[in-house]
Amino acid sequence: MRTLRVLSAMMVLALLVGLVASCASPAATPTPTPRPAAEATPTPPPPPEKTILRITFSWPTYIDPAVGSDFSSSSSLCNLYDTLVFPTTEGGVVPNVAESWETSADGLTWTFHLEKGIKFHNGSELMASDVAFSMNRMLEIGEGYAYVFLGTVESATALDDYTVQFKLAKPSGIFLISLVRLYIADEEQVMANVVTPGPYGDKGDYGKEWLLTHDAGSGPYKVKEFPLEEYLLMEKYDGWFGTFHPNAPDEAKFIATTEPATIRTLMSRKELEISDQWQPVEALEALGKIEGVDVAAFPSLTEFYYMVHTKKAPTDDIHFRRAMAWAFDYDAAVALEWPGTQQSQGPVPALCAGHNPDVFVFHRDLDKAREELAQSQYADQLDQYPVEVHWITDVPAEEKWALLFQANMADIGIDVEVVGTPWTAVVEETADIETSPHIVTIYVSTDFPEAGSLLKVRYHSDAAPTWSQNEWLLDDELDAMIDDSLSTVDQKERYAKYYALQDYIMDLCPSLFLYDQIQKHAYQSAYVDFPAARGEVIPLMGLNMFAARIGVTGP
Amino acid sequence: MRFITFIARRVVHSIFVLLGLSIVIFIISRIMPGNPARMAVGPRAPQYVIDELSRQMHLDEPLHVQYYYWLRDALHGDLGMSLVTRRPVADDMKEFFPATLELTLFAGFIMAGGGIFIGILSARHKDKWIDNLLRIVSYLGVVTPSFIFAIFFLLLFGMALNWMPTMGRLSPGVSPPPTITGLITVDSLLSGNLTAFFDALWHLILPGIALAMGGLAQESRITRSTMSDNLTKDYIASARSLGIPEGVIMRKFLLKPSLIPTISILGLDFAGTMANAFLVEVIFNWPGSSRYGINTMLRKDLNAIAGVVLTMGVVFIVVNIVVDIVVGLLDPRIRLAPQRGE
Amino acid sequence: MTVQAKSLALPKSKIMENLGRSWYKFSRNPMSIVGLCTVLLVVFLAVFAPLVAPYPRHAGKFVDFANASLPPCRRYLFGTDVMGRDILSRIFFGFRFSLTMGVVVLSLVVPPGVTLGLVAGYNQGTWIETVIMRITDIFLAVPPLVLALAICSVLTPNLFNAMIAVSLMWWPWYTRLVYGLASTLRNEFFVNSAEVLGASKFHIIFKEILPNCISPIFTKMSLDMAWVILLGASLSFVGLGVQPPKPGLGTMVAGGRNYLPEQWWIAVFPALAIVVVVLGFNLLGDGLRDMLAAEEV
Repeated sequence: MRTLRVLSAMMVLALLVGLVASCASPAATPTPTPRPAAEATPTPPPPPEKTILRITFSWPTYIDPAVGSDFSSSSSLCNLYDTLVFPTTEGGVVPNVAESWETSADGLTWTFHLEKGIKFHNGSELMASDVAFSMNRMLEIGEGYAYVFLGTVESATALDDYTVQFKLAKPSGIFLISLVRLYIADEEQVMANVVTPGPYGDKGDYGKEWLLTHDAGSGPYKVKEFPLEEYLLMEKYDGWFGTFHPNAPDEAKFIATTEPATIRTLMSRKELEISDQWQPVEALEALGKIEGVDVAAFPSLTEFYYMVHTKKAPTDDIHFRRAMAWAFDYDAAVALEWPGTQQSQGPVPALCAGHNPDVFVFHRDLDKAREELAQSQYADQLDQYPVEVHWITDVPAEEKWALLFQANMADIGIDVEVVGTPWTAVVEETADIETSPHIVTIYVSTDFPEAGSLLKVRYHSDAAPTWSQNEWLLDDELDAMIDDSLSTVDQKERYAKYYALQDYIMDLCPSLFLYDQIQKHAYQSAYVDFPAARGEVIPLMGLNMFAARIGVTGP
Repeated sequence: MRFITFIARRVVHSIFVLLGLSIVIFIISRIMPGNPARMAVGPRAPQYVIDELSRQMHLDEPLHVQYYYWLRDALHGDLGMSLVTRRPVADDMKEFFPATLELTLFAGFIMAGGGIFIGILSARHKDKWIDNLLRIVSYLGVVTPSFIFAIFFLLLFGMALNWMPTMGRLSPGVSPPPTITGLITVDSLLSGNLTAFFDALWHLILPGIALAMGGLAQESRITRSTMSDNLTKDYIASARSLGIPEGVIMRKFLLKPSLIPTISILGLDFAGTMANAFLVEVIFNWPGSSRYGINTMLRKDLNAIAGVVLTMGVVFIVVNIVVDIVVGLLDPRIRLAPQRGE
Repeated sequence: MTVQAKSLALPKSKIMENLGRSWYKFSRNPMSIVGLCTVLLVVFLAVFAPLVAPYPRHAGKFVDFANASLPPCRRYLFGTDVMGRDILSRIFFGFRFSLTMGVVVLSLVVPPGVTLGLVAGYNQGTWIETVIMRITDIFLAVPPLVLALAICSVLTPNLFNAMIAVSLMWWPWYTRLVYGLASTLRNEFFVNSAEVLGASKFHIIFKEILPNCISPIFTKMSLDMAWVILLGASLSFVGLGVQPPKPGLGTMVAGGRNYLPEQWWIAVFPALAIVVVVLGFNLLGDGLRDMLAAEEV
């Protein structure tokens, strides 16, 4: 019995000590930091603590410039690496690493002159050879953003230390803009860290393993710690050639979670500065109520599509598709979203360069829907042809629209099955025409702000076996029109072709266009200067998380 | 000598079981429909990249050939590449497993210590109000799944009262100790970093207790029933009649035999706790191999799934052997008993 | 020892007396009664859900965004979820999935598991026993949840596949249980006599040995209902069992987790429902064990 008493006493003591110690340690309880007085105080102010910008993301994140291409990867890449040109809020580009450039008369040769004295994180200088290396590496590896350049760029060569030349296979109206996705890596560092043997012959693994957790860039931030499944911690690189926001954070940490509960706790303890954009509306409302936290909402050139399989019964019938488009309650769908969200006007987001303002737009009209349905070949056998809608379980809110769709279709007698599918399964099934479901609901962002690039990724036959297209249009005429528009160098001509493309697509009615997504992030407005919240939005995926332009003065 | 033979037989038996388990796991991970190579390289990669990766992963060869490659590699410590983290599964396991181990060990201590403590308390005051209360509580502990405890704890202590942290192993401001064992509590003690030690402990409490509830309740019930059975045994009565003090009786005569069933169950419960860790880790965002396992299972990452299940199997088997040894040492009757078939 | 085989020929009054005695043993512990009532209630709610639920349509294809996320009130006793569906009604229908899971899995698992155990126990010392028990050991080497998760992750996630997965790894427990019993009984006098008398192996295994194993098997089955239902809820929670929008209990908890703590009712009530079902079957199982175990004294 005495042993028992001693044991229990020890346990209680240990627990008490633990409690006391953790209350004493600053990390467990949030203590408000007193704001330093503006006037001069007799005692010198304490040295400024390091500021840190923490943002949550949906994972995984790949910081290899030839591999990463989704939202979190793009956000990381723009902080770690520099590009030849930098995007503006108007959708154009300004010189960045490249000071100036010329094109040949036939548009097939582009020559860029680089700024001198740009240093990589390890101190060596950025040369034209590094630019050529980065392009060639991306083309050879073929992942990430490579698809933007494959088929267009034939070669990249360094003419001298500060001049790099690209030869194109065909003229391209978007080549210049697409260079915002060519992240320049240090050839020396990458090649010094290749692992042999590897799939790239004498280049071994081309540095892919090293670049999983390290960076070879020149951007405003460099990798400090990267435990792969948890977070990416970057620290400020003072030798960056660009201009920092006066209060740019000393560290930037991208955290791998989108759990509303976790984000709520972190935000209220001021341990998170900006949330991810996948929080459900209910969670955002609750976050907005926290003191010092606001919700930044801005258009993001992302559209929510119901991609309809045009080669599978019953959605292969154009009248059937039109019936669905007339029956859907777009207003109700928009009402479920953040206030200010607008129904989509056609296949391209309204704010995207090249959007056709006069494109035809559907609205809910049950009479027209029934009319169209009556003309379809499946009109008398509706019960034998259920339509399957796959929504992506990684974004739980998508279920709402799927169920709304189901209820709307029931109004005209169409039977709908709703199936939650994880993202990886969606990627897998949309790769094959047989396994693609009738409808898959996906948010698609433009990789850069041109209607043409979005239309290519959405409706071109090359893109048919990818997740960005479930329609399987396989329309040769459309392909030719898209390719032609992208090769048109004159902007006015190009946009006119885009308009024609959008009309053509609306005639085919291959998708339902729900709404242009407003990107929403909860952020600590009390001490974070978030340019996107002020309306300075860069219409390029990931660029609004460019930490060099975000100011952090707290908590 | 008999004891050594006993253990040796167990070990051989276990190796055989492990081999069979590896076959089962391998078959499970390979009958997946779909092409994992495509999922690995990203949605818009050209076909030749997919083909190359398929060749590397031996995906086009017959099943038994694939198994041979897989086993050979596994014995060298190479469990293949994870499609999600894009690095060797072995590295992933090295990084994540210690976190799960730490959580499970912590839960194990609570289960063992708390369970025995409560069980003894219950046995001593049998059928009084405190015993009844504890019995009800422990019953609820057994039937409620850990993930429900986890959610309730998260809700109550993490959110409503805001006492405890709700994610991760350390608070953001605390720097982690150098990695020696991978267990933050141990490492921070070894390197003298007391802040990290207490902070890590603080983070362990909520998920640890949620995980331990089931086992704790189980342990206390077993301890209670064994103890109360033993309390009525003859040899205790004779010890009392000889005038031996109660405390000595408890310690010398009661504790050892009563603990035997408890410890055997502890082994089983430990493994059960590892399994329950899957759900608790997800809820508390604990960076352990179980959460990694769930992520990879949802994303159909074949190699990682195989790696996680194999590790669990190995741990479970090892724990069982250890428990058998400990129980054998404690209870002479078991190691001296004739073996099956003799 | 050979009492059971004769019980079928008892006169009616004897049967009633046996039943009465069993009931007495069962009802001695009030908790067993609680368990029985709980299980009966759950079964009743599950079977008659369309009639008893206040809003039976809410369990199927239904949305009502105007009434979404309402806290518990007079109209909706357990509140509504984000689609505007009544949680109480959905829980009733959710019981259906839970019970289906338990019943189907046990039906699939018990016959083969028991048979294998009997065969292994009877054929002691032969290769048959070794093979069967080795395979059993392999499946028992890993905790059930882990193996179930792994198998489920390979197949398309839905209730049917979850049942297959759980069945695939649950049978060894019965094999091991029955093996232990059968190998002890195998050497009993009555078995040897039957062999000497020339009874077929089939007769010995199923008519002599099996009836003496029924009690432990039955006890285990009733306790297993609870664990299988729990396993099913865990699988659904992770995303590998019942899929939304179907109202599986684990599925509802997972869905509701996103909306804690403001809309706590969406996750909490289904969670409590799981606890109630599992608790009920556990208590019932304990009571049955008390009732059956005492027979063997």
